[in-house]
Amino acid sequence: MKIVKKFLALILMFALCMTIASGCRKKDDESSYDTATGEPIEITHWYWADTQQYSAKMQDIVKEFNQTNGKNIKVTAEEYPWDGGGYSETLFTAAMGGGGPDTASWKLTSTPLFVANNLLAVLDSYINGWKDKDDIDENLYQVMRDAGGSDNIYVMPWNTQVLYVYYRPSMFKDAGVSVPKTYQEFLEACRKLTRDTNGDGKVDVYGFGMRGAKGGQEPWGSFIYARGGDFSDFTTDKAVAGMQDFINLFKNGYVPPTAPTDGFNEIIANFKSGKTAMTIHHIGSSVGMVETLGDDVDAFPFPSGESQWTSMGDTENVIFEACDNKDAAFEWVAYLATGKGQEEWCKATGNVPVSKRVQAMPEFQNNKFMKVSIEGAPSAGIFPILDTTTEWINTIWPNTVAAALAGQKTAAAAMQDLQRGLYGG
Amino acid sequence: MGKGKRLATRALSFCLPLVLLFGFLIFPFYWIFITSIKPESELYGGTVTYWPKNPTFDAYRALFVDYNFVKPMTNSFIVAASATLLTLFVATLAAYAFSRFRFKGRRPLMIMFLTNNMFPTVLLLIPLYAIMRRLGILYTPLALILSYTTFTIPFSVWLLNGYLSDLPMSLEEAALVDGANRPQAFVRIILPVLVPCLVATGVYIFMNAWNEYTFAVMFTNEKSRTIPVSLRNLIGQLGVQWDLLTAGGIITIIPVCMMFFFAQKRLVEGLTAGAVKG
Repeated sequence: MKIVKKFLALILMFALCMTIASGCRKKDDESSYDTATGEPIEITHWYWADTQQYSAKMQDIVKEFNQTNGKNIKVTAEEYPWDGGGYSETLFTAAMGGGGPDTASWKLTSTPLFVANNLLAVLDSYINGWKDKDDIDENLYQVMRDAGGSDNIYVMPWNTQVLYVYYRPSMFKDAGVSVPKTYQEFLEACRKLTRDTNGDGKVDVYGFGMRGAKGGQEPWGSFIYARGGDFSDFTTDKAVAGMQDFINLFKNGYVPPTAPTDGFNEIIANFKSGKTAMTIHHIGSSVGMVETLGDDVDAFPFPSGESQWTSMGDTENVIFEACDNKDAAFEWVAYLATGKGQEEWCKATGNVPVSKRVQAMPEFQNNKFMKVSIEGAPSAGIFPILDTTTEWINTIWPNTVAAALAGQKTAAAAMQDLQRGLYGG
Repeated sequence: MGKGKRLATRALSFCLPLVLLFGFLIFPFYWIFITSIKPESELYGGTVTYWPKNPTFDAYRALFVDYNFVKPMTNSFIVAASATLLTLFVATLAAYAFSRFRFKGRRPLMIMFLTNNMFPTVLLLIPLYAIMRRLGILYTPLALILSYTTFTIPFSVWLLNGYLSDLPMSLEEAALVDGANRPQAFVRIILPVLVPCLVATGVYIFMNAWNEYTFAVMFTNEKSRTIPVSLRNLIGQLGVQWDLLTAGGIITIIPVCMMFFFAQKRLVEGLTAGAVKG
């Protein structure tokens, strides 16, 4: 009995210590201050960074914003691991648990989940009254609306990566091909650039480096739009015609025979080694291209056919509904979208700015890859964000396209499978 | 059969598989180490090298100077050591009570302890996050210590209970006859016998807390980050900083290896305790 009493006493002591410890701590919601008292308005911002340099740059941007905003706003930026996309889950758990930041760096694919749980602040009223509203292309606002699945904007644009066509000027010259201005010229260039350059009777340079493995849906989308199709219905005649063009490139041997299984590494390696004369990727691979090929690499936007579309990689910022100081939070995300934060971040990361003012700056206009990215931005978009999108991208698209390229499925049948995979039914 | 032939047979049937197995086990660690000392040109170059031509410790320097890796290491150590001590303290007393006293609800309580570990940790993430926030201890090491003990205490109670149940009652009875009271008998007689099992349990708890990521990423911020989260920060969306990541990996396993080195004998004793009945 004595032992039990002592044990109980120990537990009580522990509970007491815990209570005292928690009582001594400042509550989370005490962290925001009243501006009237002259204390700073505190904004907590979560972000991920690909390298230590990017992380340091973000901290520099925050420091400069805190010093120059003139409204007594103090941002604290906290880095969280990207964790293969687990970043969004961490953010979701924190927001659902009643904590989480005031603002955060963002990926459009997470928008429906957060919007469905009323976690994001609607930004329309802020953007409509914002002096820099027109500094961002209307197309981007539309992409943000589409991501949320409503007419409201929940996401503030920040920077993008626009896909374009890399090409080898020396190969174009040898084959007597000029930079394609139209979709038909692009298809024709694929044919002309496919050559046997050493006279052994075998093709050793292919016109186009096709990506048939995961991730290949992004360049593929450009073919669908070029024929007048779109992603709302893959089974239209126009969309099927785009798919047929894609199949024909493989069937006619204008792309490497390994195309159905070629992913990012393969298309880049093939292009660098001179096996392909053109391939599609974004500015992220430009540094490596120039390192290997020097001046013998250039770029052009995927040409327009009946319509024009290219894929956009995205990073944005959001304000959480639970944020107490949304005006101050908007000042911060606006600074990142069109202010000095935009300039600094895009210069450091090489990503494409969303601000037209920043796009026009000499540093960006003098970079040929950045210039092409900016040219392509108005026609850049994303795939529909649905519950099925991840599986569609990871499994359904690569398998269906591989079957179509192997001749096991017609273009029409493949497009029907893709339609079912994404939209059900 | 000649001696030479016997030796050859032994080498082929025993030593060779052993060497192969050892190589298989040790190779990942070797690869992590040489990656951490490769210069950038070799790290991202097209040719695979099994030993760097120009070894460099720049990654280690960057890790401690630029990345301030000492901070997450300190945080990890505080969290893991505290969780270990707290769990061992609570679990030893609880296991003693379960093994020595027959009280009402003993069995259901033991089962309840076990069921706690059957819940996926992710399921408890949001409730625990909300609780920590309410307590005002979110983003402090205390939040992690408490959440880790939530899972380690039940397991440790079961582990220690098994060991304690195998200890004959006559040990304490002898002490009680000699004039010791129950706490004295526990501290002077039972506890010393329990040491190997406490070491084994302690190592399990420490490693659990040292390597845990899911709770660590939720309950810490920049100031209270632990090693797994800091290392995961080096894996970006478009690239991995392999040099820093592998250097961090090597630094991280050193304390665990040292602990194993010193606790190895007791650990084996503790893990096999109660496995053979007399």
